[in-house]
Amino acid sequence: MLSSRTVVAVASSSSFLPLSHPAAASTSSSASAAAASYPFLNRRLAFSQCHTNRDRSIIPKPQRSRVMEGFKTRAAAAAPQLEDADALIDSVETFIFDCDGVIWKGDKLIDGVPETLDMLRSRGKRLVFVTNNSTKSRKQYGKKFETLGLNVNEEEIFASSFAAAAYLKSIDFPKDKKVYVIGEEGILKELDIAGIQYLGGPEDGDKKIELKPGYFLEHDKDVGAVVVGFDRYFNYYKVQYGTLCIRENPGCLFIATNRDAVTHLTDAQEWAGGGSMVGAVLGSTKQEPLVVGKPSTFMMDYLAKEFGITKSQICMVGDRLDTDILFGQNGGCKTLLVLSGVTSLSTLQSPTNSIQPDFYTNKLSDFLSLKAAAV
Amino acid sequence: MYLVSWFLQRELHFSPKSVCYKDEGTAPCKRNGGKKNQPTFCGGTRQVKQPPTVKHIPFSNQTALIYFKKKLINILPKSKNGNQPEKDSDAAQSLFVGGKMSAPAATQLLDLHSARALVDSVEAFLFDCDGVIWKGDKLIDGVPETLDLLRSKGKKLVFVTNNSTKSRRQYAAKFHSLGISVSEVYVIGMEGIVKELEQAGFTAIGGPEDAEKRAEWKSNTLFEHDKSVGAVVVGLDPYVNYHKLQYATLCVRENPGCLFIATNQDAVGHMTDLQEWPGAGCMVAALRGSTEREPIVVGKPSTFMMDFLLQKFNISTSKMCMVGDRLDTDILFGQSSGCKTLLVLSGVTTETLLHSPSNQIKPDYYTTQVSDFIGFLGS
Repeated sequence: MLSSRTVVAVASSSSFLPLSHPAAASTSSSASAAAASYPFLNRRLAFSQCHTNRDRSIIPKPQRSRVMEGFKTRAAAAAPQLEDADALIDSVETFIFDCDGVIWKGDKLIDGVPETLDMLRSRGKRLVFVTNNSTKSRKQYGKKFETLGLNVNEEEIFASSFAAAAYLKSIDFPKDKKVYVIGEEGILKELDIAGIQYLGGPEDGDKKIELKPGYFLEHDKDVGAVVVGFDRYFNYYKVQYGTLCIRENPGCLFIATNRDAVTHLTDAQEWAGGGSMVGAVLGSTKQEPLVVGKPSTFMMDYLAKEFGITKSQICMVGDRLDTDILFGQNGGCKTLLVLSGVTSLSTLQSPTNSIQPDFYTNKLSDFLSLKAAAV
Repeated sequence: MYLVSWFLQRELHFSPKSVCYKDEGTAPCKRNGGKKNQPTFCGGTRQVKQPPTVKHIPFSNQTALIYFKKKLINILPKSKNGNQPEKDSDAAQSLFVGGKMSAPAATQLLDLHSARALVDSVEAFLFDCDGVIWKGDKLIDGVPETLDLLRSKGKKLVFVTNNSTKSRRQYAAKFHSLGISVSEVYVIGMEGIVKELEQAGFTAIGGPEDAEKRAEWKSNTLFEHDKSVGAVVVGLDPYVNYHKLQYATLCVRENPGCLFIATNQDAVGHMTDLQEWPGAGCMVAALRGSTEREPIVVGKPSTFMMDFLLQKFNISTSKMCMVGDRLDTDILFGQSSGCKTLLVLSGVTTETLLHSPSNQIKPDYYTTQVSDFIGFLGS
């Protein structure tokens, strides 16, 4: 009897993979199953903290009780509008900002942002910028901040491209293994800095497929991970290459930088995001990816360790409920939603929305105006 | 339990008559030649759905209970009608276990007797194509002769495929009933879908002509899309690119009431004979990822296509047999519609996968390839 129950539990998560495949274990612990079976992976805190955008019920274990309490109280009460900015500023040491929709929109800076950031710095707050956009490396983002006239250090920026490289380093990805990249330059640059070999990227965007008898696509057997992010040069060749690596190279990891459905590449409209490319590879491999970007708490754990900050002393400021705010809640920090990005007040207050931040406000520069009002 | 199983092994090994429900007049049963660790197991022909595949279950307490049940059947008085072992087994169960032991329905390897019984009991055979009839562009051995043989026995043959790269009339006609006000359809797929939609009176945009388009963005430029697109149809597209994904995403998210239709969700398929390639499931999942909506699936395992077949042939589904190579599309399609199901191992599914504990889909029968029918029915 016990055997039949166990079989059912395994089957519900991945019915069509041979049991020997590392991902055939339940979805939440596919990562740890892989870690157990393959020598070059080790179980680090970061590893067990990764979870997918879809499976929000998987809360990272060490913080489960604290976050669940948070969920219970937060889900019940609707988010209040921020009134006393000072109280919020004084209660935390660090502010984490999402970029698109909070700091800038497309290539335009949002009003009042430079002054707000200066004010926060003058009050001794640490500022960190976390973005799911994997098209640029940290260095390239640093340049973007500079062009917009913001005083931001490269070390304060965490893009999901950096997160992918940092994750591979944290699990001691072997030097003799390569990474196949379905994504843009940002990921390639970060892998270079981390000293990890890679294949693919934008140059595979020109490769064509001919589905005719006798045609066989070879793939490198040394690929130990496939990293998938937003890719404007996405094509069938890349999906097939990535699928072959994941299905046929033993222990090959499937890492996603982020699963955002849409993204604001221009300020005028939404564009299909990384969730699309990740969805494609998921559709053909039937394997769930390890997500390193928001709402997975990998980046938060990384920077908490890097800067030695306690998570309760952080406030996450973002414009998206299912990535930024969920990221903050999963990490156990305070959350502030700004309405200058993709989320409108009606979306926030809609009965179908179950994610409630601690506060909401119109835009970041409200920190200045509300402060002034309080005085 | 160990003592019981040890006892059972000994008892069954030395029992004068093994548990065998062979029918009179058929081939004699081949007994398992007294191997110590296995019960004497009838390898002959059976009508009843006793689990002949019990030997595939690793020996465990559950197996021990099954063997014990069989032993009790031998002891219990047999009724006049020799074909009652199922009832006896129920009695044995309730006697011994105190409740129903639900083992998953077993898959039978097709053999001489069951093949004849299957062919006699169905009037129509539904064949999947990729992996059953052909592999990539190469015909599988013995298929033409098998199809002729089945036709000569008066069976109707239907070919049901998820492959949307070639024309299929059924999709087009059904689109009408799905969205009466739909006039323009954006297609991520090949000529097949475009042609069918045009034949059905829709205006199809996209498809192969968007293969070379590149998406560019600069501030203050807008990616335009047709606001009158009422449905997006996604199928296998080897020329998929970001432009198509973005166009389809905008249509689904911004055009009110826009339908999101998928021809099928196959993860991989044998587009060439040498290896597997991502299937329509890849393109559909890409669009699911960017629209956060679930599609209406018209292909297998959705029973959509069955409506047509029922209307066309006027045969009840219990008199149809679905022959396919994929568990999650073909066999599930057959089971959901109430047909008999036959899995062939000439395509993507291996015997290991079929018998793996994580597999929950059990076809009624399985065999190596379609031409096995020639061997079973030939003489």
